[in-house]
Amino acid sequence: MKNNYNISQEKFEQIERYILMNMYGKELTDFKKELKTNKQLQQKVEEYRIIITGIEEQSFLNKLDKFHTDLNPTKTITETPKIFSFTKYAITASITLIIGFGIYWFYNSSNSNQRLYTKYFKPDPGLPTVMSTTNNYNFYDAMVNYKRENYKLAIKKWEELLKKEPHNDTLNYFLGVAHLANNNQTQSIKYLKNVIKNKNTNFKDDAYYYLGLAYLKKGNTNLAKKNIKLSNNKSKKDILEKLEKR
Amino acid sequence: MQKDTHLQTIKADNFVKAFKTNNETVLKVIYKENYRRVELYIIQNNGTKHQAKDIYQEAFLAVWKNIKNNRFFPKNKNSINKYLYTIAKNKWIDYLRSNDYKKTTTYSKLNGLDIGQLKFEITENYTENNDKLNKVMLSFQNLGYACKTLLTKFYFEKKSMKEIALELQLDVASVRNKKYRCMQKLRKLVLNNDNEK
Repeated sequence: MKNNYNISQEKFEQIERYILMNMYGKELTDFKKELKTNKQLQQKVEEYRIIITGIEEQSFLNKLDKFHTDLNPTKTITETPKIFSFTKYAITASITLIIGFGIYWFYNSSNSNQRLYTKYFKPDPGLPTVMSTTNNYNFYDAMVNYKRENYKLAIKKWEELLKKEPHNDTLNYFLGVAHLANNNQTQSIKYLKNVIKNKNTNFKDDAYYYLGLAYLKKGNTNLAKKNIKLSNNKSKKDILEKLEKR
Repeated sequence: MQKDTHLQTIKADNFVKAFKTNNETVLKVIYKENYRRVELYIIQNNGTKHQAKDIYQEAFLAVWKNIKNNRFFPKNKNSINKYLYTIAKNKWIDYLRSNDYKKTTTYSKLNGLDIGQLKFEITENYTENNDKLNKVMLSFQNLGYACKTLLTKFYFEKKSMKEIALELQLDVASVRNKKYRCMQKLRKLVLNNDNEK
């Protein structure tokens, strides 16, 4: 049976004093005495004890999240003070208005490419990295960098390995996805194309998919469609539908 | 960024005090100092960045609780760091061995190598915490901004009523009343959660 009635502010503050160990002397002795025999009071004390613990713990976790976002400081945008000049402002404004409409028409289509890309692009999760394997240590070492989103370093290491094995489809594939994650579509396309040259590659489906996305990001919807069609990704149907609508 | 050399010279019982009073400066330094190492370990052992964050925060919570409950008495910052790392590592290993960790294998994409590719599903689990406490924590997150902030200031940051009154530009009596009302609101949310089960 639960006691759902509210207690008064005074009673609440007394219980709180007890829980937080801010109760002393006679008040403490009297309270403890009553607690021994009063079951309802015992229940209330326990209830508020758990509530206060919960508040503290959740606040703590919330702080940890704050600390975590501070780990990766975002780039600070420094604002340089501008001297306001009316003529300059007027000229800029009118030029903007004149070409504004033209730009609006042009960007409308390419913005939707960007939006579509952003909606469907997720970096390849990479391969499991169990560091006990002594074979291909360098490959997995770079994979760790890739997973930590340190794409530049992963790319540097894999490109080094590629020199010895230029036709290795694994290397070409991951270089392709790493460049794409690093926002370099041109390089990405170069490597992904190498992957699909090999008819028997295990990376075929994913390579076509990411190739399609790379072309989409570049604004080439025809090549985007063509490559996504050749892939076998679960999002394939949705993207093609959206691209066909244009 | 300020160097934390002054933290090195803090005596053992001051560290304990810092944790027990939720000293934000100390907590933050220790949090930032140890994360990368744990992240590296987890990612090198089949984990993702997201999992690393979760495990690290669970471990940090455990360290904090143990210091508060006098189960762990760190002698210096290094012993806290070591303790934190060990707990995180063990939590990760436990997770990899647990039943929650479902595996589906698909064949490797690697030419010539026979490694299976593992896909993981992570199921949410509240380890250690009891049911009622979880309800409180969830309900707290659903409290409005004003109540959440006030209760955090008092129960977590351990600010006095006077300090809080100054911050909110109210008198102490009003703040006390607000706190009371927020607590009743929270209690109601928790009881509602209970009744829904």
